[in-house]
Amino acid sequence: MTPLTYLRIWLAGARYSVVRTMMFRGDFAVWSLVEFFWMTVNILMIAVIYRHTASIAGWSEYQMMLLVGTSMLIQRLLMGFFWSNFYEMGRNIRTGAFDFYLAQPGNPLVMVSTRKLDLDGLANSMIALALVIYSAHRLGLHPGIGDCLLYGLLVLCGLVVHYSLLVLTNSFTFWLKSAQGLEASYFTLAEFGRLPREAFKGLGSLVLVWLLPVVVTTNAPARTILHGFNPVWALWLLAVSVLWLVIAVAVFNRGLRQYSSASS
Amino acid sequence: MDKYRQAFLIGLQGSIVYRWNFAVRSVFSIVQLLVVFILWSAVYAGSPRVGGFVFGQTLTYFTLLIVLQFFTSAFNEDYQISEEIRNGLINQFLLKPIDYFLYRLSIFFSARIVSGAIVVAPVAVAVFLLRGRLVFPHEGWRLAVALPALAMSAFIQFSIAYCFGMLTFWLLEIQGFVILSMAVESILGGQLFPLDLMPAGLFRAAQFLPFYYQTYYPAAILSGRIGRELALQGLALQLFWTLALVGFARFLWRRGLRRYTAVGG
Repeated sequence: MTPLTYLRIWLAGARYSVVRTMMFRGDFAVWSLVEFFWMTVNILMIAVIYRHTASIAGWSEYQMMLLVGTSMLIQRLLMGFFWSNFYEMGRNIRTGAFDFYLAQPGNPLVMVSTRKLDLDGLANSMIALALVIYSAHRLGLHPGIGDCLLYGLLVLCGLVVHYSLLVLTNSFTFWLKSAQGLEASYFTLAEFGRLPREAFKGLGSLVLVWLLPVVVTTNAPARTILHGFNPVWALWLLAVSVLWLVIAVAVFNRGLRQYSSASS
Repeated sequence: MDKYRQAFLIGLQGSIVYRWNFAVRSVFSIVQLLVVFILWSAVYAGSPRVGGFVFGQTLTYFTLLIVLQFFTSAFNEDYQISEEIRNGLINQFLLKPIDYFLYRLSIFFSARIVSGAIVVAPVAVAVFLLRGRLVFPHEGWRLAVALPALAMSAFIQFSIAYCFGMLTFWLLEIQGFVILSMAVESILGGQLFPLDLMPAGLFRAAQFLPFYYQTYYPAAILSGRIGRELALQGLALQLFWTLALVGFARFLWRRGLRRYTAVGG
């Protein structure tokens, strides 16, 4: 299948998602509110902490808001494009309904990942972006078009890393038959991404900044807006996203071999 | 009472089957403690006291908060109740002399015993790693007040979960509302920051809400964040919320049954 065919399939899935969302408008409103509340919770947390301190690891309140906004942006994009597709994957593997994806004439991982969109997540990604823009405004920053494009590219790399982590944790379902508890591992890891890199010291820095990719995914784009282009951070995130995508695809393909189709 | 003792014992066996789920959750809670440690270390790097408390006191508060959740919080009781209503499994309770609230409460307590037992090992490791950093107050009255506070905290958390489960009588899907309430509980229950760091007016207002008594209140008593007067005042308000929520949960059950069509089962 050509990339154009995949794009047409994805567009068909997107159309189906929009129609479905319009059918369940109340559900859309509730879930939009859920995500909005969680974002508000994180903003309130920063606001309360900064009542008692001027900086966290050298980051001022609005610098921190920009970092958290970036983290939210990546997470909401992940929720919007991929989360519910993988949420269903574990159940499909257990019930054998995963056969449906294998029977399709395309790459199974692409078919699994692109079945539907969650419009509430995508709507909230706009709010996260608004938080980033507002924080930059409060900081008096005027990033150039190049910095903005680079920010977008690095957020995309961050999305690739988070997508890879999602694929990895869910691929374990091929072996364990249950991903319960594993999705919590993603959320716990993602929490480290809301912290500035300077907060990590010693062993924590080695493991959480250098070995696991979550801190760089948020810090690299945020720093681009705050301090301009830094080739070390940009190349580091690019390398990390390629590496983790390769690992995730390899584990997913390995897991596929374990799949034994449970349905009758 | 014997029937609820049996429900408790069955619940104990059922929870032991899911011991790995609890174990995974407890390990991630310890990782959560690491996030707390890194964040608050950075906060305290700028000032030795935050809200009048030193780093050790804040770390003790969060450690207690995470541990106590395994003994008093509702994990997925709302979903379990919702599933039982949706699938008609409550039909059997309508035909037998069993109080559904007490039945679910017995299972809730058995599950908390198992989750509490499982969290002991990771907590012991965490406490060992944090040795010398945790600061516990020495006043004896704290334990005397904390014990009823913890018991009522469990009742409040169970009752809230039970009420959300009851929503299934009216709504097809409750998941969105449950996660919405989790966001409110996490902030007003003091899970993200100690509530005493909020502006004084907001902190005072929070004391009149049930979320305050879910997690912040018992952890604040045991970690020394609130004094004797506030702790004792809190007991009276916590008792009010416990009775109000248990009463409301039972009210929802009675009203919900009027709409119930006993599908499936």
